[in-house]
Parts: sequence; C-alpha cells; structure tokens
Amino acid sequence: MNLIQNILYDMFYHSTPLILAVLGGLFAHKAGVLNIGLEGMMLMGAFASALTVMLTGSLWLALLVSVLLTLLLGLIFSYFSVTLKSNFIITGFGINLFVAALSAFVLKFMQLANINVSSVVNVAGLKIRIPLIADIPFVGNIISGHTAITYTGFVLILVTSIVLYNTRFGVYVRVVGENEEAAKSVGIHVEAIKYAAVLIGAALCALAGMELSVERMALFTNNMTAGRGFIAIAAIYCGRGEPLRCALYALLFGLAKSLAINLALFAGPVSQLFEIVPYLTIVVALLMVSVLQNRNNTVRGFKLE
Amino acid sequence: MNAIRTENLTKKYGSFVANANINLSIPKGEITAIVGENGAGKTTLMNMFYGLGRPTSGAIFVNDQKVDFSSPLDAIHCGLGMVHQHFKLVPSLAIYENIMLGAELPKTLSFKDRFRMQSPFIDKRQERIVIEKLIHDYQFELDPSERVENISIGAKQRVEILKMLYRNVDILIFDEPTAVLTPQEVDELLVNFRELKEQGKTILLITHKLREVMDVSDQVIVIRRGKVVGSRPTIQTSVEEIATMMVGHEVHLQTQKEARAFSKSPVAYQVNGLSTTNYLGKKVLDNISFEIREGEILGIAGVEGNGQSELVKVLSGLMLSTEGGVQLYGEDLTNQWPCEIRKSGVGIIPEDRYAQGLCKEMSLGDNLIAGYHGNSRFCKNNILDQKNICQNRDELLNKYDIRVADPEGTVSQLSGGNAQKVIIAREFDSGLRVLIASQPTRGVDIGSIEFIHRCILNLRQQNKAVLLISSELSEIMGLSDRILVMYKGKIVGEVAGDKANNSQLGLLMAGITK
Amino acid sequence: MKNNHSVISSIYSALIPIVLAFFVGGIIIAVIGEDPFLTYQIMIQKSLFTSQGILKTLHFAAPLILTGLGIAITFKANIFNMGVEGAAVLGAFFAGVVGFSIKGINPGVHITLCLVTGMLVGMIVTLIPAILKAYFKVNEMVVTLMLNYVVVEIVKFLAQGVFKDPASGYVSTYAIADSAMFKKIFNSDLTLFFFIAIGVLIIFYVIFNKSKLGFEITAMGKNPEFAEATGMNVAQKIVLIMLISGAVSGLAGAGFLMSEKYRFTLDFSGDPGLGWDGMLVALLGNHSPIGILVVAIFYAALKTGSEYIGLFTNVPKDIVGVIQGILILFLSVRFISQNTSLRVKVKKLFSKIRPNKLKNDEC
Repeated sequence: MNLIQNILYDMFYHSTPLILAVLGGLFAHKAGVLNIGLEGMMLMGAFASALTVMLTGSLWLALLVSVLLTLLLGLIFSYFSVTLKSNFIITGFGINLFVAALSAFVLKFMQLANINVSSVVNVAGLKIRIPLIADIPFVGNIISGHTAITYTGFVLILVTSIVLYNTRFGVYVRVVGENEEAAKSVGIHVEAIKYAAVLIGAALCALAGMELSVERMALFTNNMTAGRGFIAIAAIYCGRGEPLRCALYALLFGLAKSLAINLALFAGPVSQLFEIVPYLTIVVALLMVSVLQNRNNTVRGFKLE
Repeated sequence: MNAIRTENLTKKYGSFVANANINLSIPKGEITAIVGENGAGKTTLMNMFYGLGRPTSGAIFVNDQKVDFSSPLDAIHCGLGMVHQHFKLVPSLAIYENIMLGAELPKTLSFKDRFRMQSPFIDKRQERIVIEKLIHDYQFELDPSERVENISIGAKQRVEILKMLYRNVDILIFDEPTAVLTPQEVDELLVNFRELKEQGKTILLITHKLREVMDVSDQVIVIRRGKVVGSRPTIQTSVEEIATMMVGHEVHLQTQKEARAFSKSPVAYQVNGLSTTNYLGKKVLDNISFEIREGEILGIAGVEGNGQSELVKVLSGLMLSTEGGVQLYGEDLTNQWPCEIRKSGVGIIPEDRYAQGLCKEMSLGDNLIAGYHGNSRFCKNNILDQKNICQNRDELLNKYDIRVADPEGTVSQLSGGNAQKVIIAREFDSGLRVLIASQPTRGVDIGSIEFIHRCILNLRQQNKAVLLISSELSEIMGLSDRILVMYKGKIVGEVAGDKANNSQLGLLMAGITK
Repeated sequence: MKNNHSVISSIYSALIPIVLAFFVGGIIIAVIGEDPFLTYQIMIQKSLFTSQGILKTLHFAAPLILTGLGIAITFKANIFNMGVEGAAVLGAFFAGVVGFSIKGINPGVHITLCLVTGMLVGMIVTLIPAILKAYFKVNEMVVTLMLNYVVVEIVKFLAQGVFKDPASGYVSTYAIADSAMFKKIFNSDLTLFFFIAIGVLIIFYVIFNKSKLGFEITAMGKNPEFAEATGMNVAQKIVLIMLISGAVSGLAGAGFLMSEKYRFTLDFSGDPGLGWDGMLVALLGNHSPIGILVVAIFYAALKTGSEYIGLFTNVPKDIVGVIQGILILFLSVRFISQNTSLRVKVKKLFSKIRPNKLKNDEC
C-alpha cells in the first residue's frame, strides 16, 4: 500500500518539470517552431535560480532572475530561428550546449562542484499541505504535499488548453502553425506570434528548472536536467500537440521514472540498470504512437521535415 | 472613376524585372480580366495591389487615392480583397472561424452593465450568427459550422469570397479562380461574378483561360514579359487576338494527330481493380481498371483531388495499393519499389515536378541521371562516371532544347517549361515502354506546351503506351485516343477521344452519370 | 571559377561565426576579469606553435575527425542522428573490454580486434534508431538522444560492477593490455590511430564526392520525396547510412580509448563529449571531408590549448565548451544564407543569368 502511494506521489513529483516543459514546448510547436532548446532553457532556469538563491537568499528574486534569463535565451532562439530563419534544430542544440557549458564554466570559476542551497532553502517547508484533501485516506498523501510549482504546473495544463482553443491569441498561434499564408493574408503578425509562443515556452522552462534545482533538492549539479527537455518533446510528439494528451504522456513518463526509482529499491545489485527504464519507455511510446499513426499509411518514403 | 490605376509601376527582383512600367486603369463596377502566360508577371502585379510586395518604383491609386500598402490588411482597409489561387484557409477551423480570422468578435465582460471590457476570449456563438446572416445575404450555400477540411473546393472558394465580403471590400481580385473547378462549377462562379457586379463590386480576374474572359469580362488587359502589351474592351476582341498578344506570335494550340487503328495492337499496360486508402483509412482509389494498348494515349480527366494524384503515386511505386494489380506486358508491377518499376521501363512525369521530379538544389547533370544513376553508363563499381554524366547532360540539353544559362548550375535557375523538359528528357531517353504523364504542362509557357505535346505524340508514333492525367480538359481532348473520367476515386465514364466534348466530360467530372 | 567562389563563400561563412563566437567568448572572459587576448593567445600558441603541440593537436583531432564524419554523413542525408556520442562511448567501452580481457596475442591482431569490436558495437546501438526511423517513421532525433542516456547508464552499471578495477581509486575499468595500445610515434602523442582516421576520411571523401551512395545521400538530404520517386529506396539507405555512422562513431571511441585513455572511466568522452564535438566539427566543416579535417584540427587545437590556460590565467578550460555552444548557435544560421541568398548573390555577380524563375509561384 505504502509502495503504491509512493509510486503515485513520485509520479506527480517527477512529471512536474516535464509537464511544464511540455506546455512550454506546445505553444512553440503549435506555432510551427520545434523548440529543441527546451533542455537548455530548463537548465538555465535551474542554474540561474540556484545561483540567485545562493547569492541573495531570496526565492522570489530567484524566480525573477531565472525567468528573465530564460526569456533572453528564448529571444535568442526566436531571433535566430524566426527572424534569421536558421535551422532551428541546430540553433536549439547550440542553446543546449551553450547553457551546459556556461553553467559548468561559472561553477569552475567559482570553484564549486555544485550549488548547494539547502542551508537557505528548507525543501520540506516548501511542500504545501492542502487542508481537507490531505486528510482523505490514501489519495490525500498522493495529491497533497507537493510544491507550489507542481500545483501551478497542473493548473497550467487547463489554462493552456483554454488559451489555445478559446482565445484570440491561441487561435492565432494554431493558425500560424497550420497555415502561415492564411495568417499573413488576414494581417496576423506571424513573427510576433512565433516570438510570443517561444517566449511563453521559455518562461515555463524557467519554472521547470527552478522546481528541479531549488524547490526539489536545493541543489544544482551540472547537466541536472538529464534530457528532460527532449522527453518533453517526445511527449509532444506522442500527444500529437493536444495539451491534455501531451500532459498525459508527461505523466506516463513521470510514472516510468517513479516506478524505476521505487522498484529499484528491491532490485539489489541490478538496481542501477533501472535508470534506463524511463528512457526506454519513451522509445517504446514513440514507437507505438508512430505505429498507430501509420497503421493506415499507404505512402512510401519520407518528407522533408 | 477608376477603382485601381497604376503609374509606371515597376517591380524588380535583383536584376530581374518582373513588372516594367505598368500603366493601367481598372474602371469601377466592371469586370476586368488580366491575362498573360505563366511567368508573365501577373501574380507579381496582383501581389503589389494586395500589399504582398512593394513596388520598386511607380505608384498605385485606389479610388483615385495614392496608396502604399505594407500588408494585405492595408489593402483590405482600402476596400481591396483578394481570392488566391491556393486558398488561404485553415483546414482545422470551421467556416465561420475562417471567415472571422483576424477580425474575431471578443467576448465582452460586463458587471451589472456598468463595467464593460473586452476579454481575450472569442464569442463563438455571436460569430456564427453573424456569418449565418452573411451567407444568407449573398445566398451562398454553406453551413458555417462545418470544418473547412471537409468541404469541396467550390465551397472553399465561396468561403474565400465571403471572407473578403465580410470585410466590406468593393474591389475583388481573383487569381486563377477556375483552375480547380469543373466546367459546371465555373459556370456557377461566372454567375456569381455577374451578381457581385450588379451589387456594385469591381472585379479583377487574373487568368490564362480565355473562354471565361470572353464570357464574363468587360475589359481585357494582356501582359507579356512584365509589360502591358494591350488593352481592349472585350466585345471588340477575339480569343485569337488575345492569344496572339499573350504569346507574341500566332499560336496553333490545336494539336494535329492522325487517327490510328490500335485496337488490334497488343495490350502494354494493364491495371486491374486497383484500390487504396489514405492515412485516415478512407478509400481514395476504388476499383480502378483500364488497359492501354501499344500506340495508344489514354487520358484521365477529372477535377483535381478525385484520386488522380493517388493513382499516379500507386502506379509509380510511391504509394501502396490495398487491392488490385498492375501489369506491364504481363510482368507484375503491383506494389513494386520505384526503382523496379523504372527498371522495367515505366517512365514517369510526376504531378509536382519540384517535389518528386527534380531536386532544385542539385546540378542539371545529376538531375538528368536521377533514377538511372545506377546504369552501367554512369556508374561503375558504385563510383559515378562524371565524364559520361556531363556528356549525357550536354546531349540531352541539346536534343530537348533545354535553355540554360549555366549548364554546370542547378535546376533552380530554370523556368517552369525548361524544368519540365529536364524531366521529359530524362524519362524519354531511358528507353521507356510506357509513359505515365501527370499534369505534364502545368505552369509551363505556351512554347513548351507545344513541345511537350509533340514529344508525347511522338511516343505514340513509336508505338509506346501513354497514360495522360490532366485537369486541363483541352489537353486531354487534344491528345487522348480514349478518355476516362475520375470522380471520388472511381472511374465514372469512358468517352472516345474524337467524340468528347466539354459539357459531356463536365457532367462526368461532377459525378453525374445518366 | 565557380568552384573558387563556392570555396571562398564557404570559408567566409565559416569564418564569420568563428569570429563572432570568439568575440562573445571574449566578453565572457572579460566579465570574469581576465584578459581574453592572453587567454586566446595561450590556447593557440601551445597547441599550434610548438612541434610537440602540433602533434598533440593532431592526436586529439583523430577522434573528432571520425565523429565529425559520423555526424556529417547522416546530417547530409537529413537524418538527425544524435547518437554518435552514445555509439562512441559504448564502442569504446567494449573495445576496452576486449582490450583487457584478451592477453598475450599479437598486437596487430589485438588492435584490429578491439577496433572491430568498437565498430560493431557502434553499429548495433545505431541500428535501433535506424530501423525505427526507416520502417516505423519514428523521429530519430529523440530516440538517439534517449539511447545516449541509456548507454550512459549501462556503461555506468558495468563499470561500477563486473568490470571495475578494484585497484583504481575511482570508477574505472581495467587498463587494456599492452598489445591493444596504439604506440606513440616519434616519442610524441601521435599514434597510428591518426592515420587510420585519415584513411577513413579519404574513404568518406570518395563516398561523398564520387560514389553512387554519395549521390543518393545528397538527393535524400535535399529532397527525400524526389529520392524516393526516382527509385533510391530511402528506407534502406537510411539504415545503411546510420550503420556507417555507427561504425565510425564506434571506431572513434575505440581508437580514443586505445591511443589516449587506455582504460574506461565515467568521464571518458569529456565534456560535452566526443559526439557533440563531432557535431560542431561537421557543421563548421560544412559536411565536407576536407572541411571536417581542417575544423577537427582547429578544434583539437582549442581543446589542447585549453589545457594550458589554467596554468597562466584564472579562466576555467570550460570556456572552450562555451565558445562551442555559441559557435553552433551562429552556425545554424549559415545554412540558409548559403543555400539561397549568398549563392544567388554570387551567381548574379559572376554570370549573366537572368534568373527569371526566382519565384516559382509566379503565374
């Protein structure tokens, strides 16, 4: 019983940064830009927030700084990919490598192995106990006791889906992604919409990063995002760009991670191999979605992506 | 009063002059046709009217006011709207959402009628009501809630027109509006034009189809090589005169072909009960059967999107059939890979030449061997023989009269006609036994059309079998010995080539079989 | 004449990002209060202006040439294979296993055996995304990235478990046997491995420029629909190309282990890793073998030089990684400018074409 509780609690815990990155990537995806830079933006969020907390001790300032810095990255990404029409896959990788190297560089320069802010941030204290719900047996322990950003993330799933389908901005984002010419012909500012979509994604990545480093462990280590940005992209592929479906895949990947960690406790010497389960889950999910999608496919060959 | 007038309007792309010193005036409340060949500069001109491109020099006057549009929005504000050849619609949105795109009605938030403010939300209910009324006013038959991806091409065009009418434009520009319609749908559209004219709208029609021009317009303006070469009131001119002005010399589009008795010659190519589905599992080819004899040209007519593209793809190995088979002189080609189909002697002129036929960024020499690059002449032990490739290129450029500035350069330097000739040279020179030609003269100048038609008739002379798929009825009727008509993935009728006429084929194309 | 111009334009389009990246890198160095000029000077001097330095640079260039080729062959065909890193690491690991578990055989045989193992392992790990892409149309980029993480975990598991050298103070496998090591030439860092890399480079030059496969790779990269329609059987070619890429990646890892590291440690591939360095090399070299050779040496020089900057300044050697990221960022723009505007400009300048089809949609 306890194990199942732990697994489900951890599922939410591990899927939070994924969900935030998924929602962030979704706006760009809908606007027709594949944001490969999610990983780097998330890492920047994690790094900048941890560094700010260490230097100032203020969580709010950390939030502000990390959002501003990831927005800067988002601006660079959209300037290159939208305005200069670069190969955005390469641009995204440039951003990822740059952030990874920059954070390592700064750590080395400050002669630190990692940024540990556990003396400033009380991780347990950041967990919110929701009254009433927390008292429900079984479910209470799963749903209650998460951090503010986790709850924000789950609320944002709904918000994203409303924004994308019911507001002017959301419709424009989708139109820009679906038929740029149609958007242009009625005077929608295509580039502005794309910039906005990328920037929203960047801000959400900052949240994801901050959750990962400050809120969760009060610790920043090099490359701590460990491919989460790309897992988010996989979730967007699998969910075919529908906010709810994509979020479900993010949850699924969170569950895989949670299972791997919780079950590894019983696995003895091979426990470390369980680390590969989440990554393999993604490959299998991608395969299954692709097979389902192509089950009626009669067309041979490949299109330029 | 003139709806649109231009003064020395010029547009240059680098050193290339697309429009040179255009002076024209389009009277208010009339239907004016602008005609010209492919590449004559009609679209460039329209794009400037519509704010999609800025003139290099010169001026545009709308309702006698000098204008300088930087986006289509400016043009629309000035009362000028455009219906593009390729519709600018969003398939996943409903008809009303498409019409309202960019001019959405926001939901108003009010608090006890005191505070009123616009919200970012869209008032979909109100939008639907408004559009229902608009559709009713113009008596177009449309259901505003239907998604655009599910409606016919004619309906899509009506949505585009409504999109402009909703924005209160009184000058409507139509870019090749009839290219994708059946003859009957064309007639309906022409009726719509007259109605719009009666309501006081000015219509500007860009086309290269002279029948409609003569039918509906009040004035004709002819453009050639970026210049206005003539302007006539329609009643004072003739199709022949306009055609001559368009091309610059007299044209004889009527192809001469001698009647042949091929009914006893052996069957070269046979298709039996071919069916396939699209990615949604919907049947897009339904039990297609035909045979082509040696020396026969079999034409397939039909409005675009009725399965012709899929048929060509299946026959060329790019798509799999779910049922049925294809045979070439008894050899089974069903669902073979493209390389095998080519090897057995099927030459293919694909529908979209820049997607499937050519690689724009590769050199001419490479394009001219693509698909046959494994032949021993070009490739020994997996190493390509550049000398033979160049030699082959020079031979073919010469033989097929392909005009290039730089033989070493890429295909992107070529005009539509010359690019198409590259494909023809490659396929015809491969020793083919059957030719599958899909829209062989689309977007091609008149000179090249004549050349391509001659090449195809030559093939017939050499006793080869030809399958010709085209949405250009005149082409089908001019070349084919037999004509099949496709509608919704099926063959709905067969007509002998010398007995075919426009209205009979038109009815079949609309799916009407008696 | 035409060739000359395309060479000049490709040199320009490589130089501009380099200058920009070093400029931004210089700003970062200045921000931490160090002298950028001194830093760059040390980097270049130590790696290019002494004979030992040059040989060391060439030595470090060898794996970069190979991973660069591994990336180039796939990128050129428009396959985004990010698994070069994983293939190199896993190839190196198993080459190492063969290297220490077999003893007392002829060095030539042993070295060959290790290299072949590396290549095979590289091919096996690349085969998965290749088949998924070719026959199930699964996006290869995400799959290869995920498999990279899988590889890291597997290697970690094995290196900490069965193959751990208990004598070593940190996580490391046993050192390979003497017979599996590449011997130093002229008492420098240079080994036979460099010449193997050059050999592979020459083979790639032939593949890219002279062979049928090269023709097909170009066609697939520029227009896959065209490639399929003209009968190139794209799915098969994807598998073939990925296998070649996996093989050279595995070779890169194996050779680097056998010529430099001699035992597998968790930081074997360095930061950000041989595969990512290869990506930079391929992009900067414009996917051409000669370009890759030049850039690999240039980049190896930076890496070699960066080892020394710590001795003279307070700049961490990670600055190379920062510059690398910025470089890739700037390089992403070049594709377009080279394919369209620049090329068109050059054409317009030097031949009197009337490009009457600049806009195809013209009617």
